[in-house]
Amino acid sequence: MQKATPLLPLGWINRLIDWIDVRIGIRQIVAYSLHVSIPRSAHTFYLGGITLFFFIVQAITGILLALYYHPTPEAAYDSILFIMNDVNFGWLIRSIHSWSANLMIVFCVLHLLRVAIQGAYRPPREMTWLVGVGLLLITLGFGFTGYLLPWDERAFWATTVGTQIAGAVPLIGNYIQDFLRGGPDLSALTLSRFFDVHVLVLPASIIGALLLHILFIHQQGLADPEERED
Amino acid sequence: MAENQALSDVMSRRGFLKWALGFSVVATVAGAIVPVIGYLWPPAQRVTASGDRVLFGSTKDLPVGQAKVLPVNDKPVIVVNSAAGGVKAFSAICTHLGCVVEWNSSKQYIVCPCHDGRFNPTTGAVISGPPPSPLPPVRVAVENDQIYVGGA
Repeated sequence: MQKATPLLPLGWINRLIDWIDVRIGIRQIVAYSLHVSIPRSAHTFYLGGITLFFFIVQAITGILLALYYHPTPEAAYDSILFIMNDVNFGWLIRSIHSWSANLMIVFCVLHLLRVAIQGAYRPPREMTWLVGVGLLLITLGFGFTGYLLPWDERAFWATTVGTQIAGAVPLIGNYIQDFLRGGPDLSALTLSRFFDVHVLVLPASIIGALLLHILFIHQQGLADPEERED
Repeated sequence: MAENQALSDVMSRRGFLKWALGFSVVATVAGAIVPVIGYLWPPAQRVTASGDRVLFGSTKDLPVGQAKVLPVNDKPVIVVNSAAGGVKAFSAICTHLGCVVEWNSSKQYIVCPCHDGRFNPTTGAVISGPPPSPLPPVRVAVENDQIYVGGA
């Protein structure tokens, strides 16, 4: 095999990787992480990868937005205006976060439909499916909590209605509604709660669930849609 | 051909493709990183409504009992000429949820169209409705018949 000539003099990187590899076997770990067996007949297996891509975009742009966002009723909307009008590329970062949020949900659902239609949830992959449904719920939770954060009229009333829907649950509905709002009405407490869930609780949850989801895929390989159960 | 021979001495096809690929990768990464670095860079602070002094208009266009909302240094400001309090200026951003307030000329008070928050045109204080605090006053001066708003 012809030896590839390096584009840049990066020999020191190889020596560094060797140094680490001798100690913890990093090459084996990376090889395991990168190689998944994919059946030849696979044509729609990129939907989960696209969802993962949008999640990474959300993580990066979300971390950036948190630099300038203030989660209080007095300052929230002003900080959004500040991001949109004064921060360099702030309009771009916020718009990407908003678009990518919607697209992440779209591709999450397409991914779920693909798995359902091709029957890829069947044994032995039920656990991947269950964790995947958890990931969808976490993603929807991100959407629900993130929608309130601009604290404009649309956000305020959307969350008013959204939490009222939870209030329609028989018997315990009112308790759920008060729990979501942090009180009988939307207030500063609601904003704090939603912000906390959006930037602390859900990111921690989704990273744990994502790692499980991907670990399962690596352990099992992807389902072959042309394989027939007998 | 001699010309092609000379070219391939400078760079092989494979070398050119590698260079083009490397350039594409670097350009793509730079396209993502430049906005992020720009975003992290401390933004320039914008002048607020209390910053520059601005000619708002003439008292001829603002008879007693009338009011007008105009942007002053990119923020909406309401200037009221009321019978009781004379010419006053307030931030026109409702302290409840940030809608722009209006003037109710028949009832002679400032009203927010979103949730009917009402404000006193002399002091900016809340008369009724959901706003938690008065409208912040903005400095106003009448010189001859010209109304100036903002400034220190």
